[in-house]
Amino acid sequence: MRERSEDALNGNLTAMIDVVFQLIIFFVCTSNLQDSAPNTEIALPVAPHGEVVTQKDPREINIDVDARGNISIVRTKISQSLLLGILKKAVAEFGNDIPLIVRADAESEHTAVKKVLDACSSAGLYRIEFAAFKEKAEK
Amino acid sequence: MARKRRKTVWGAGELNLTAMIDVAFQLLNFFLITSHPVDVMSRLSVLRPKPDYTATRETQLEALVIMVLPEKYIINKTPVDFEQLEGILGKLAIRSKNQSVLIECLNQTHHKQLVRLLDLCAQLGLKNMSLVSSGGA
Repeated sequence: MRERSEDALNGNLTAMIDVVFQLIIFFVCTSNLQDSAPNTEIALPVAPHGEVVTQKDPREINIDVDARGNISIVRTKISQSLLLGILKKAVAEFGNDIPLIVRADAESEHTAVKKVLDACSSAGLYRIEFAAFKEKAEK
Repeated sequence: MARKRRKTVWGAGELNLTAMIDVAFQLLNFFLITSHPVDVMSRLSVLRPKPDYTATRETQLEALVIMVLPEKYIINKTPVDFEQLEGILGKLAIRSKNQSVLIECLNQTHHKQLVRLLDLCAQLGLKNMSLVSSGGA
């Protein structure tokens, strides 16, 4: 009787450990995808003739600017001075040819975008890319 | 007397749930890792002038200056709408795709207007674009 219950426990434990590892792999994959996903609160403008990048540089920095003028990186709101610190550190570590992508809301005013551009220039980054949608989303 | 090991007998309609969950997550992970989402984003590249850059008379004459205002565009001090701007840039692009374009934005300029202009330049093959920001009108 005892042997039977031990066997049952061992068998169930193997399957359970298997499922746990499956869950870990699943969450690791989805969290990686979340990091690179654009902020859904930002409505990017449409630019059908812009360049589509197929191979992304792992050093690229995505800076988001929402319609209210808030600057954020990976959904974390930051100030212009903090952005400057981040960019200077990135330049010191990876050089001044790191790709910089500004994802600004279509309705955002240039004042907010200018803050980002000024921080980039102060950090020594002069080539900036603006992100946009290739096609307008159908409702 | 040998003890008989009783095996678990699955009745009709019973499922081994653990194995099923295992297979479901296997499939999910497989498709997550192997799928390649379609890239729906495009990029428009601009240059910012370096702080030690001073525009000489020659560079000012060579660069086409386009000011982006909330309701219109001003090209070399002449106000135009988007269609007129498209015509002018089209003619310039035919002559030379290395034409320097200096885009000036004001604080009130909406980002979509700037992107619209950059997209037009990308469509026409103009690659030499610089962006400067000036204060309010």
